[in-house]
Order: sequence, then structure tokens, then C-alpha cells
Amino acid sequence: MKEEIIEVKNLTYEYQTGTHALNHINITVKRGEKIAVMGSNGAGKSTFFLNLNGVLQPDGGEIRYRGKVIGKKELNELRKNVGFVFQDADSQIIASDVQGEVSFGPMNLKLSKEEVRKRVEEALEYMNITEYRNRPPHYLSGGEKKRVSIADIIAMKSEVVLFDEPTAALDPLSADMLEEVLAKLSAEGKTLLISTHDVDFAYRWAERIVVFCQGNIIADGTPLEIFQNEKVLEQAHLKKPAMYTVYEALAERGLVETGSYPRLPEELKTILK
Amino acid sequence: MKRHTHKHGHHSHGVQTMDFYAFQSGLREWNGGYKVLSALLILILCIALNDIWVSLTVIITVGMINVIGNKVPIRQYLELLKIPIAFLVLGCIAIAFGVSVKPIGDYRISLHWFYLYLNKTDIQKAVELFLKAMGAVSAMYFMALSTPASELISVLRKAHIPKVIVELMNMIYRFIFILTEVQGRMKRAAVSRLGYADFRTSCNSFGKIAGNLFILSLKKADTYYDAMISRCYDGEILFLEEEKKVGWIHIVGMTGYLAVLVLVWFMGQ
Repeated sequence: MKEEIIEVKNLTYEYQTGTHALNHINITVKRGEKIAVMGSNGAGKSTFFLNLNGVLQPDGGEIRYRGKVIGKKELNELRKNVGFVFQDADSQIIASDVQGEVSFGPMNLKLSKEEVRKRVEEALEYMNITEYRNRPPHYLSGGEKKRVSIADIIAMKSEVVLFDEPTAALDPLSADMLEEVLAKLSAEGKTLLISTHDVDFAYRWAERIVVFCQGNIIADGTPLEIFQNEKVLEQAHLKKPAMYTVYEALAERGLVETGSYPRLPEELKTILK
Repeated sequence: MKRHTHKHGHHSHGVQTMDFYAFQSGLREWNGGYKVLSALLILILCIALNDIWVSLTVIITVGMINVIGNKVPIRQYLELLKIPIAFLVLGCIAIAFGVSVKPIGDYRISLHWFYLYLNKTDIQKAVELFLKAMGAVSAMYFMALSTPASELISVLRKAHIPKVIVELMNMIYRFIFILTEVQGRMKRAAVSRLGYADFRTSCNSFGKIAGNLFILSLKKADTYYDAMISRCYDGEILFLEEEKKVGWIHIVGMTGYLAVLVLVWFMGQ
């Protein structure tokens, strides 16, 4: 069995305006899991991420990282080990050139200059943006900015990485690049949590889906379990993935081998009779 | 300002144009501190020597460096110089002309109640001043067109400018571009709904955009702070800075250039 990396117990959070609250959230994340976090806007996904990352501090309940309860003193520990890629890269990038931007996290970790340099080098290489290293962020395209914002987190070597709607506003090429990076990160044993509205992406990528609705977790299971649960889908206003619907229709007419539930078009091809 | 095209965005604004040239300058690989110091020394010499020939030498040679070294097309460079020239011409006219009720001076125009007069020495003074200021402007342009803001900020940090100012500079530089971009988007959206149809609606739309921009900035500031916190920000903004070496050739070259300026001055005496 995989080790538990994050344990959230009874987490509650309320903004001063009383909106976007989280009510008694309980969830356990294991090392290396690929989790999609779904739910409509305002369901509490982003607030949940901000709590997991230590930016917001819960009003009640506790977060454990590797068994250690996170209090005020351990917040930086949490921020260091749980990286957060924000939805809007422009709201994350603060430096006036790419290299400086990627170095911001490692510099804050008070690493030696050589180590920072090494990590920046690696992260730029990883995201394939070495050639932009001296470029100011306003001379980058949307996809390039996204890559920079991911390199920011890679340079921090976080064990868990949270992505807030990473596929929003990306062109198909950049979206493909993103999925490649996600696969690479998973292969390295990183734990990934991605909030998304894209059911097709969630179905194809995730091992586990957590559904938020009005500050509560209303479902937590494998993609199949979630998309077979009509009640949850209706409550969270989720549609069924195209692949899933096509498969069901084909299965109904006996055109495919049953019980295999393909995630990718290529998989569907192989099971067609 | 004439339009020019480059890969990202369609900036035609002065600051952004200069920013872009600094970014693509052929002298980018030179040490930032060296470039700033050189510009300052040329500026100081140009002002201190106070000689028409020195000023002319600086205007021409530094202009050549800007066009060839910093790869600013000559027409663009002249465009950039237009702004300070406009101010300098106005200032020098004010210095050269005098007002008097009596007919004095070498040349004068009678304006019924008073005279506008010119003295030969005043004209010479105005021309000297104009060229001196142009030389100084050229030197400053050399710095602005060869040193990207990030490098300039790092030079200031090394020069022990207070941290608050350096950090503010960095953030302001970053946000100018975000702000202009958002403003541009809002303006386009307003234009598409006839928000700039005539003068009255233009004023109205402009005010609303400005107000909106302010609210948006406050909101964005929150998100930024969260994003910084999430990467362990604890009160000090630090970035990795590239270290570029100063070669002997650079030092010798600059010393030689300054010596030539002094020589020009000496010959003029």
C-alpha cells in the first residue's frame, strides 16, 4: 500500500464575506496519486487548494503532511512541499525576466546560489524554455507563460503539485505539452491534484476524481465510479465524457467487448469487434 | 511614434519600444554595471567639460553605438530623440530670447508694447546648452537602450539602493505591462461597443475604464500576494541574477573613449 502524504480532517474555511466556504472536508491523498478535482465555479476547489498549500489557514480541522500536523510554524514546510500552479500565469509571474522568475521559489527556500542556479537550469530544461531565460514575461505567449509558471514549481522540487485549471485558455498544442509534462511528473512519483472542468481530460488522465459541491466533497472515487453515479453528476452539473458515452452506446449494441471502459480513442479501436 | 512590428504584441508606446530595444540589444551580454557606469561617466564628462565639440562628439559617437551596437534602426532612433528635442528647443528658445521695453540687444522684434530681443552671446549659449543636453540625453539613451530593466534593477541593488525602492521598481516594471495590456483589452471592448464614438462618450468610457482598472488592480494584488506566499515569500523579494564578466577590452575601450573626449576638449581650448 502506498504511503499517505496528505491527510485532511474536518477542514473548514470561511471567507470574511461568508462565501466560498469549505465545510468539514475529509480527504486522504496518497503518494503518486493522480487526482482530478471537479465541481462548478465557486464549489470550493480553489479555496481547498489554497488551504492545502498553506496560503490560507483553516478555520477548523487540521491538515497533516506526512503525518505531521501543520500549525503556524510548519506553514512554510507545507508551502515548500506542496507546489501550486495558479490558473492565470500572469498572476503568478512577478520577476522581470524568466530566469529570475523561476529562481524566486528556490531563493525563498534560502538555498545556496549554486543550488539555485542548478535548479533553475534544470527547471528551464524540463519545461523546454531555456532559450527564453532572459526574456521579460510580457514578450512571452500564453502557452510560454504557462510553461514558466510550471517551471516555477518544478524548481522548488515539491512532492505534491496542485494545478488550478491548467488547461483553461491554452491552445491545443500547449494543452498537449501540458499533458506530457503531467505524465513526466507522474513518472517521477510526484503526487498531482488538478482542478478542472474538462470531463474528457479528467476521465482520460485521473486515477481518482473528487467532486466538490457548495463547499462539500460529494463524491470521491475512480473516474468510472463518478461518471456512473447519475446523482453526483446532476448535483455537480457534470456531463459524461465523450469516450464514456460512445463506449456505452457501442456496448448497448454489442459492438465492443464489454467491461473494458477505454479511456483513449486508440484503446477503443482495439476493443471494437 | 511610428509603429514597428515584433514577435510579441503590438506595442507602439515609447517606454515599451525602448524596453524592446534593450531586450534585443547587441550589447546585452555586456555587464550591466559597466554599461550604467559608462553612461554616467560620459554624461558627467559631457556636462563638466561644457564644450561644444565634446558635446557634438558624444552625440555622434554615442548615437552610432546606439544604432550599430544596440541595433536600433536609425529612423527609430531619431524618432526616440524627437521627444527630448522638442523640450530642449522650447527651453533654449526661452533662454535665447529676452523681453524688454527698451530697444536693446543685437537683434530685436518690436511688439508694440515691448521688444523681443536676441544677443549673439545668448544664441551661442543656447546652442551650447542644447548640444550639451543632447549629449547627456544620448548617454542616457545608451543606458536605456542597452540595459533591460531587470539588469538595471540588479545594478541598483548592487549599488546599495534601499531594498524597498529596488523591490518596488521590479514590481512596478512588471505591472506596467499587465496594466497597459488589461487597459488595452478594456479599451478595445469599449471601442467595439461604440464607447469612443465622440468626445463625450470617449471621456465617459475613459473614466469608467480607469475606475475599473483600479478595482481590478486591488483584486489582482490579492492573487499576487497569494501566489508569492505559496512560494514561501517571507518579506524579501530575491531573484537569481546573471553575472556577466567585464572584459579588459571593455575597460580599456571605455577609458580610451573618455580620454578622447578630454583630448577633444583640450584641443578646443
